[in-house]
Amino acid sequence: MGYFEQALLAAVLIGALSGLVGTLVVLRQRTFFAQALTHATFPGAVGAAILGVSIPLGAAIASIFIVGIMTMIGRVNRQGNQVASGILLTAGFALGVLLQGLNPSLPVKVDSYLVGSILTVTASDVTLVAIVLAFAVLAIVFLGKQIMFSTFDVNGYRAAGYREWPIELLTLLLTTATVVTAMPAVGAILAIALIAAPAAAARLVSRTTTQMFVIAPVLGAVSGLAGVLLSRSLDVAAGPTIALTATGLFMLALVLQRLAGTVRAPREADARRAPRRSLRLKA
Amino acid sequence: MAAASFAYGAEPALTGIDFAVSPGQAVALIGPNGSGKSTLLKGILGLITRTSGTVEVLGQWPAPAGYIGYVPQTDQLDPHFPVSLEQVVMMGRYRSLGWWRLPSKADHRAVAEALETVDLGARARTRFGELSGGQQQRGLLARAVASAPRLLLLDEPFNGLDQINRDALIETVKRLKQQGVAVLVSTHDLDLARAVCESVLLLNGAQVAFGPRDAVLTLANVQQAFGSVGVEMDEHTIVVPGHGGH
Repeated sequence: MGYFEQALLAAVLIGALSGLVGTLVVLRQRTFFAQALTHATFPGAVGAAILGVSIPLGAAIASIFIVGIMTMIGRVNRQGNQVASGILLTAGFALGVLLQGLNPSLPVKVDSYLVGSILTVTASDVTLVAIVLAFAVLAIVFLGKQIMFSTFDVNGYRAAGYREWPIELLTLLLTTATVVTAMPAVGAILAIALIAAPAAAARLVSRTTTQMFVIAPVLGAVSGLAGVLLSRSLDVAAGPTIALTATGLFMLALVLQRLAGTVRAPREADARRAPRRSLRLKA
Repeated sequence: MAAASFAYGAEPALTGIDFAVSPGQAVALIGPNGSGKSTLLKGILGLITRTSGTVEVLGQWPAPAGYIGYVPQTDQLDPHFPVSLEQVVMMGRYRSLGWWRLPSKADHRAVAEALETVDLGARARTRFGELSGGQQQRGLLARAVASAPRLLLLDEPFNGLDQINRDALIETVKRLKQQGVAVLVSTHDLDLARAVCESVLLLNGAQVAFGPRDAVLTLANVQQAFGSVGVEMDEHTIVVPGHGGH
């Protein structure tokens, strides 16, 4: 397989994986968390480059620390998860830049971890993505209904006698694994576009979660494929082209949805938000 | 439930709860906003911390899995979530399905029957968010029905419902009671309490009173639960047993 074919394969697999896991991220409203994760794995990658160890390994170890710190900040009184994500997003990015600045003689171009370099992905990078994708597909096929239930109505899910943390942990692991394995190809910053945009587009045109779990990976794979092909014919960087293609598909879905009116505004929305009476006593 | 208290984190939310509900009976939880009605339901579900006292559901604690049907407030749910009404009702069957199995014909039949019970059979494939508030509420009730619960918890089921939906809801709850289901319903609406509940638990951050409906809904008790704002409203409309309506 030539480097270009390998790049195409990587783009398709990463796109499909991002779409699939992105569906979980979007439905569970964890997009900002995923974004913080993408930025905060950056110093892990730089650290790994400095130490001369595996980049995905460095990013993965960093993400475990980051998730731990985010959980701690999130638990501090009156500090929500959004605050924790916001702090870690910038702190992680800053730390990466700082480490990079302190080690100007790094043998690898650290910039490539920010925007990716899909033409230089290795066979082992692609294999790693394929393994994570297989795991994600299995998880969603076998646990799909529990994932859907807990995401739609967490209190109802717990009332039915389930514990929520296994689903939350699974989402966290899949998100982290996706961000880490996508990083060499599309970079820490651009990965979020591929995670959020295809899933958000699929959500606009899907009636059921099952449809979304099929449409989002297809849109992700199409973004990857089209992005790499476009980048070659236009002679521009692949990572940004993939991210922009994904964004373009989202805009297209938005237009299609508006035109077709697939998702009508919930009727009687006003009735549901009617102010509560304090007490209605009747003789 | 005996002398039970519940808290969100370090802040106590509800104290001194002492009541019981038998199979086929219904208890109305009545109190102003923030009085702890939803808190009590979440306490029974084990979703929040119990700081003292005892809670038993069907003689056990924690509550045996799958025996409680819970109907949350629809505004707690994402109205744009891509899920059909049928799928929502099927969620009530997941517990009996286990982790890996797919729904069988019997499960699909149970879902169809539950939807008929709440008169929504024709809307099975409609996206949940496209249903009206009342239909969503009935759909969540159908989910609870499909799970064949022994105890049914309803959180403000009348919020934003029109008369037709209210009547449909009352009929379903009555039918479940006849089948021996115990019901706990939090409400602002005394119509609902009068229609289906034998007993009333009045709340205001703590238990104000518990007992037979008409004995508990006295002016003094309601005044204590709702404070002075409520009393002005009540003066003209409340029925105090033995005093006639005023």
